[in-house]
Amino acid sequence: MAKSGKSAMDVNLLLAVVVLLVFGLIMVYSASSYEASLKFNDPTFYLRSQARATALGVVCMLIFSKIDYHFWRKFALASYVVSLFLIILVRTPLGITRNGARRWLGVGSFSFQPAEAAKIAVILFVAALLCGRDGPKINANMKKNIMAIAVIGGIPSLMLYKLTDNLSSAIIVFGIVAVMFFVATPKYWYFVLGALLVLGLAGLIVWVIASGELPPDAGFRLSRIRAWLNPEAYASGTGYQTLQSLYSIGAGGIFGKGLGQSTQKLGFVPEAQNDMIFSIICEELGLFGATAILILFLILIWRFMVVANNAPDKFGALLVVGVMGHISIQVILNIAVVTNTIPNTGITLPFISFGGTSVLFLLTEIGIALNVSRSIQV
Amino acid sequence: MKKRRQKRFQKFTIKMQKKLVVLFIFVLLAFIALSWRLVQIYKSKGNDYKKQVLSQQQTDSKVLPFRRGDIVDRKGSKLAYSEKVYNLVIDAKLMNSDDGVHLAVTLDSLQKYFPEVDVQAIRKYVSENPASRYKIFAKKLPYDEVEPFEELMKTGVSVNSASKDKDGEKKGAGKLAGVWFEEDYQRRYPYNSLACDVIGFVQGNNAGFFGLEEYYNSTLNGVDGRQYGFMNEDAVMESSIRPAQDGNTIVTTLDTNIQSIIEKHIAMFMQAHKDEYREGPAADNIGVIVMNPNNGEIYGMAGYPVFDLNNPRNMDGIDLQYYMPASVSANAAADDQAENTAENTVENEAENVTAEVSENSAEVKPEDTPEMKAMNNIWRNFCVSDSYEPGSVMKPFTIASALDSGKITGNETYQCNGYLPVGGHDIHCHNRLGDGLLTVRQGVAKSCNVVLMDVAFAMGKEEWLRYNKVFNFGLKTNIDLAGEANASELTFNENMGLTDLAVASFGQGFNVTMIQMAAGFSALVNGGYYYQPHMVSQIVNAEGAVVEEKSPRVLKQVISEETSAKMRDYLSAVVMSEPGECTGWSARPAGYTEGGKTGTAEKYPRAKKNYLISFMGYVPADDPQVLCYVVIDRPNTPNQSESTRLATVLNKDIMTEVLPYLNIFPTEPLTEEEQQALADATGDFSIGSDLVSGNEVPEGAEGEGEDVEAGLNEDGTIVIPAEEEVKLDSAGNPISVNQIRYDPETGYPLDPVTGEVLDPVTHQPINGASSDLPDY
Repeated sequence: MAKSGKSAMDVNLLLAVVVLLVFGLIMVYSASSYEASLKFNDPTFYLRSQARATALGVVCMLIFSKIDYHFWRKFALASYVVSLFLIILVRTPLGITRNGARRWLGVGSFSFQPAEAAKIAVILFVAALLCGRDGPKINANMKKNIMAIAVIGGIPSLMLYKLTDNLSSAIIVFGIVAVMFFVATPKYWYFVLGALLVLGLAGLIVWVIASGELPPDAGFRLSRIRAWLNPEAYASGTGYQTLQSLYSIGAGGIFGKGLGQSTQKLGFVPEAQNDMIFSIICEELGLFGATAILILFLILIWRFMVVANNAPDKFGALLVVGVMGHISIQVILNIAVVTNTIPNTGITLPFISFGGTSVLFLLTEIGIALNVSRSIQV
Repeated sequence: MKKRRQKRFQKFTIKMQKKLVVLFIFVLLAFIALSWRLVQIYKSKGNDYKKQVLSQQQTDSKVLPFRRGDIVDRKGSKLAYSEKVYNLVIDAKLMNSDDGVHLAVTLDSLQKYFPEVDVQAIRKYVSENPASRYKIFAKKLPYDEVEPFEELMKTGVSVNSASKDKDGEKKGAGKLAGVWFEEDYQRRYPYNSLACDVIGFVQGNNAGFFGLEEYYNSTLNGVDGRQYGFMNEDAVMESSIRPAQDGNTIVTTLDTNIQSIIEKHIAMFMQAHKDEYREGPAADNIGVIVMNPNNGEIYGMAGYPVFDLNNPRNMDGIDLQYYMPASVSANAAADDQAENTAENTVENEAENVTAEVSENSAEVKPEDTPEMKAMNNIWRNFCVSDSYEPGSVMKPFTIASALDSGKITGNETYQCNGYLPVGGHDIHCHNRLGDGLLTVRQGVAKSCNVVLMDVAFAMGKEEWLRYNKVFNFGLKTNIDLAGEANASELTFNENMGLTDLAVASFGQGFNVTMIQMAAGFSALVNGGYYYQPHMVSQIVNAEGAVVEEKSPRVLKQVISEETSAKMRDYLSAVVMSEPGECTGWSARPAGYTEGGKTGTAEKYPRAKKNYLISFMGYVPADDPQVLCYVVIDRPNTPNQSESTRLATVLNKDIMTEVLPYLNIFPTEPLTEEEQQALADATGDFSIGSDLVSGNEVPEGAEGEGEDVEAGLNEDGTIVIPAEEEVKLDSAGNPISVNQIRYDPETGYPLDPVTGEVLDPVTHQPINGASSDLPDY
């Protein structure tokens, strides 16, 4: 390493990402080949689609890792506004409905989820905002701080929830904003208070539902909560996916059935290559494999922390914190859903679940984080 | 420039770095919590979930049913076999596939090929349950109905689809879809009701009930095969087949011809005596066993009424009321107003079958209906499932025991004065006037109770009980048929008194089953070897290889060869003596020598004068080759105790047909009458005359002597003097009407119609002398 100037990019981080990507491709193939051969008569259908997106993502990552991250600061506000605009576009004829949800934008064979773009835009915008002229003021003032979180996080979250009916992305976007503000301000207490408030509110809602105070036909989110509380009672309906996922975990045992040996993926676990891929990992590789994946993610997150703490400036650091928050929240929520720790919301497992847009934007974020790591002054 | 930039770029402060570490710790804690949660799921529910996963997988596999083995007779004729049939299964999802282009064509073809199938119901089902993959719409279709449709499916073009080509290309593309045929088996009994009590039938999923089907259920059943679907390396669904293991075939010792002969004669008997004296069947029960006394093989075994094994619940032509639980006594009450009776047939495990039937088969009616109980009575095998007091057929056992134990030599003589005082009561002989001085042989031939009692007293109760056990009374024979009665509670034990011993010597006071009697009697006459009676000689697997050879099993030698030879001599005297000197002369088939023993047992309650008459015979008399045991429970005749000839003649009729069939040649010259009778009988036996039917015989002149709990009587009371040539119909009823005959024992005149002894002065039937006394 040179005594002055820029260091090489963070190899550990890159390595963790590459391992996760390769592992993800393997698992996507394993989990999807049955369904793919049934639906498309081609067991590698999902694999090839995912591989293309991954390849494109890797290219993006490499490009972004070469571009000085300060370059993006100019586009912070613009990207934020554009991402909001894209969310609105979903309601126009450009939107595509898949599996009963209108969440995609597409032209021809190309399609992507504005929610994924919104995540990276929010990271960029918040980082830029907090490093701007008003940044210190916002951070110093509790009232302004809360207002900023509510507005900046709230607008895209509400739009995602209302316009695309995508609660999970809304939660993630809001979570990213909250995490970034949390790191940037010197205060703790109102975050703790806010977290307790959210938990308390959630607990109250669950208690109300569990005690049966609400009418039974109160919408699918409520029925999901009921299914979460007692998946066996809703085994043929809302609880089916969760229950099948639990079955997979139980069936896998400690060391699993072996790669490719899952039987649950044969039409029993819906979205086996998608939201529920972690349950297939549990079935094929057991608790051992599942823990290995968690450790891999932990290494990744740890490297984000290291990079952020050594970043040459606050902007770079906050960008990395945003990426870190994004990936952490998504991993935690995904595994919590698979283990029925929280009610079912459709959240994918970063780098591993099938989903082109997701992997493309994630790799872009990694590219930015890598660029930050290159800028570390040694 | 650089400075200005530096200003714009704020530092990531230590405080922020610390907060980032706190954030990381939160993430770490969350990860740890999730890992813990995973372990918890595995630990608390892992096994349950694993099972769930396995059970889900099985929905992907398909059962391939096994074929239940056949039941064949000794010549290889199939008595029961399973035929492959097909269930019509509708796969609604497939039928609706490709936007429903196949639907109309498929339904039209179904309508055409299976007119009995409700196509509208299928249409409705398919539209209401579009995701259904499996629904049976027709069951047990034969192959020749299914085959043309399958052929059509294979060729893929149907007339209907061709005609629709005009409408548009897409419609023409429709082909038969969403229909397949699931294999199953249907049990068939080609002889319908033949040997129904012995074979038994099958319910639901190859569960055998009664008879061989129940006893050999596990042998006949195989193991279901399975077709598994699994993913190969290219993630293509492949199927692997574990073929079904078909059940074994059992080769029985039954002979279809002998069985038909037996059943024909039973049916003729039942028809001849139906409603004869009272409303109702010719007898409450009737049982016939024909077997080989030298190895225990059963040639034929039958009861009445019979039912169609292919449809055991169809009781057409059978008046169920006579077989309902209360009906036997109620029936008896019809001619004799009486108090409640205690059934002397044992309730045995066969009774419990009702419960089993209703548990195992949904289609069975509740067990406690009288109809159901009546059906069970009809399904059960009287020959092994019912026990009764044997009566005089027991006498040879008593004599053989005494001889074999050395307590008598056979050269003794006994004085019969018509009764013997035992324990303060006079136990009478059939002949109240007494037979005078009798040898043991004469005692057996005349069925003299006094001789038997004297012999039993000479032997003592210990010896009698010991031999009782030797002959397996009180134990099951373990014949390979379901529902054998266990009469162990109904036999005597060490507590038997003198009176018990006295009546036991002539077969009253304890219960036996027909199969026990036949097996024991075989041993008496075959040299003393007790063979286990059995129905099955071989078990053959589905490929035709012999899996198990069931050779005759000698369980023990019950009496010595010498004793057995003496018994053959005594027993031939029962049949071969002059009619005045014996009780069983009418059992002899023309041209053969026969040995045997008659029996007329009085049933409980004694006051009712209900009798169980029987005859056990074997041919030839000196070298038994075939044994036939006939039991008629409560014959429908005015005077049951005198109807022993019904049993002897039934035995004769059966033997007359069975013997030539078994290639046993006649050894005796035929008289003209016998030749004439045989000529008349060729083809079919004529149904007997109706001489006795419809006659009201005044009852009520009951005998005064209820000496012991049982009176005494003689087998075949109507002993017809030899010089009187009496023509008999096939049922053994005297045909001559005009001649007045006299009871040789009393000298009193006999009623020409009923054969009852009449008072010489009043010409009213009397019961004192011979008619009313049960045979002991």
